[in-house]
Amino acid sequence: MTSERREAPGQTPDNATAAARARDFFSVPAPVKRIFDKFPLVTYPANDLPYCSWSNRQGNRLFVFTDAAGARHGRPSFNPQCLKWQAYLRFAGIDFDIVPSSNHASPTGALPFLLPALPVGNNAPIPSSKLQKWAIEQVHCEEEQQLNTRFEVYASLLDHRIRNVWLYALYVDSENFDAVARRLYVDASTTNPAVRAALALQLQQAARAELLKTSTYIDAGALEAEAGEAFEALSTLLGDSVHFFDRPNPGLFDASVFAYTHLILDEKMGWKRDRLGQLLRRHENLVQHRERLLKFF
Amino acid sequence: MVLELHVWGPAFSLPSIDAQCLATIAYLSLALPKDAWVLVASSDPSVSPTNELPALRNGNTWVSRFRNIVDYLRQYSAGDWDLDAELAGLDRADSIAFTSFLDTQFPPLLALSLYVTSQNYYNSVLPAYSSQILTWPSTWLIPPQIRAAAKRASDHLGLSSLDLVALEEDRKREHSAAVAAGRLPASLPLPKAAPTITSGLATTHRFRMEAVTAAAFEPLAAMLQPAQKNYLLGGDRPTSVDCLLLGYASLAALGPESLQEAWLGEALRQKAPRVVEWVRRMQREAGLASLPWRKPERPRWVTVGNTLWNTVADATPIWRDIRANTRMREIAHSQEADLSGEERTALAEYVTGYKKDVWLSVAVVVGGVAALVGYMAHVGLLGGGEGDEEFEEEDEDEEVEVVQPELPFGWSI
Repeated sequence: MTSERREAPGQTPDNATAAARARDFFSVPAPVKRIFDKFPLVTYPANDLPYCSWSNRQGNRLFVFTDAAGARHGRPSFNPQCLKWQAYLRFAGIDFDIVPSSNHASPTGALPFLLPALPVGNNAPIPSSKLQKWAIEQVHCEEEQQLNTRFEVYASLLDHRIRNVWLYALYVDSENFDAVARRLYVDASTTNPAVRAALALQLQQAARAELLKTSTYIDAGALEAEAGEAFEALSTLLGDSVHFFDRPNPGLFDASVFAYTHLILDEKMGWKRDRLGQLLRRHENLVQHRERLLKFF
Repeated sequence: MVLELHVWGPAFSLPSIDAQCLATIAYLSLALPKDAWVLVASSDPSVSPTNELPALRNGNTWVSRFRNIVDYLRQYSAGDWDLDAELAGLDRADSIAFTSFLDTQFPPLLALSLYVTSQNYYNSVLPAYSSQILTWPSTWLIPPQIRAAAKRASDHLGLSSLDLVALEEDRKREHSAAVAAGRLPASLPLPKAAPTITSGLATTHRFRMEAVTAAAFEPLAAMLQPAQKNYLLGGDRPTSVDCLLLGYASLAALGPESLQEAWLGEALRQKAPRVVEWVRRMQREAGLASLPWRKPERPRWVTVGNTLWNTVADATPIWRDIRANTRMREIAHSQEADLSGEERTALAEYVTGYKKDVWLSVAVVVGGVAALVGYMAHVGLLGGGEGDEEFEEEDEDEEVEVVQPELPFGWSI
């Protein structure tokens, strides 16, 4: 209703217009506007990229969640998504270095990503969704999804059932969160207690939000039962073969399975409540599968 | 004892508008004798203690969700009512994997097609809810809730722009914000929407839609190969995973006669033509046309009031969290819940932890508001003319809304 009388921005309103404005429910209140008129106070130049010993290496560099010692020896990452791609590239026989990193450093907001030695296109990093395509171009391995119709169907067990129970066991379960996730993800990234508390809260919230996307409440019993079934199905699929789908060499599906089975069975993780380990150890062939693949590291 | 199956009501000539309910109906119809159960279209999740449909009632026992109902029926009948009894080895593994695949791929697609695509929601789904399924005043309360949940569930597919009404509202909001900030003169009318937005589905969606429907339907088509296969797992009788596919695919296959924008049905016909045929045959076989219906109870004022109360509570940010948390705690502490001791302690612990978070967020909001007001008082912004005092309260309201939503950045874990 006062719109015709509105003056140009930045002009000081006299008392009459100020009163008229008070009645205009939808206009920005003057005190708030005065605060926001002051922003931005100063715009700082962008920071330089942090210098570290990894930035001048020449080879392919895969950025994953890991610690400095793990990166030097190329040990498995403690994050299943990262470990999946680390293992896949290793199985495919591609040479690469591991660089410890965090979500905040990634162009897509998620790890892993890869900086290739020979840049592709506009020298952009390769996110995990395009890593398989890149690997196929590098070493001409086959695209396994095409070879077996069961690939996509069984992959949903890993991407959904086992991932959900992993989120529950690592982030939502408070004992495990304090013993494992806090040490690996929170304490490693900063020493400031306030930032640590905020990070821990964010991690747990994110995991909960992810689980609540598919159901109205988090049912730990149902999640574990589903994971038990998933391990059973994977164990049946593997059978007596050395690798999934009877392949002579381990491939993407083996890497996806290994990413979870290794971390669940790894004693260095220090699980407090080892329900997943109990479920997994019922299937001897999955345990042996993990041990065979561990020799690649 | 006759078992009662409570479901969401019928729509689009199907016995239910919800895929899980359809699957459960098909399962009971195939596995149980006709006189052992009745179907009640109560369309009110609050009938069951877990606040979910489908829910099976046997006296005082309530079981919800398709998978739990299948398990319960097997235990209750000592193995008689079990379509999966003969599965072993790779068939059983396939059944587990197919179930997981369907549960992962279909719900977000159905959410997009029925609820997020605004033409379908306003022209087909909402009328179905108000004419056949719900009674006043639930018609005003429940569909928006389901729609909000559907948007959350399909967010990751990156097709939220199918909701044209929300896009239009965003545009209007931006326009009025620009006017309020003095960047645009108020006399300038809102520009006409771009033609891609008004005429059907924008071509920009096509590529993304191709990708997400192919991810779901191509493996499905491969599952139903070779052509003489009658059921998903081969065999000569249907299993639980067939019922689940029937539930999802019945809704996915809805054509232009039911939905204005039948892009999902089109994609299914294109990518997995056999599935459409298969669905029609299975619907006949499961006898979805003749079911043991029983009339639901007329809603009483108590139930109506209850729904109203629940809606208000669930729409209020912090109150909602406290309620969700109490519900969980009840489940954790109820002795009847089918949890082992260890699971119960874990759940109770989780709930207590969650409660702390809720109080922490209350404290953050209160602290934030106090800090803002304090700062404004300190700088002297509040000491101005008569008009300014009115703004003070408004600021507080705005602050509460700004602090509460999701955290600034998402961890992808």
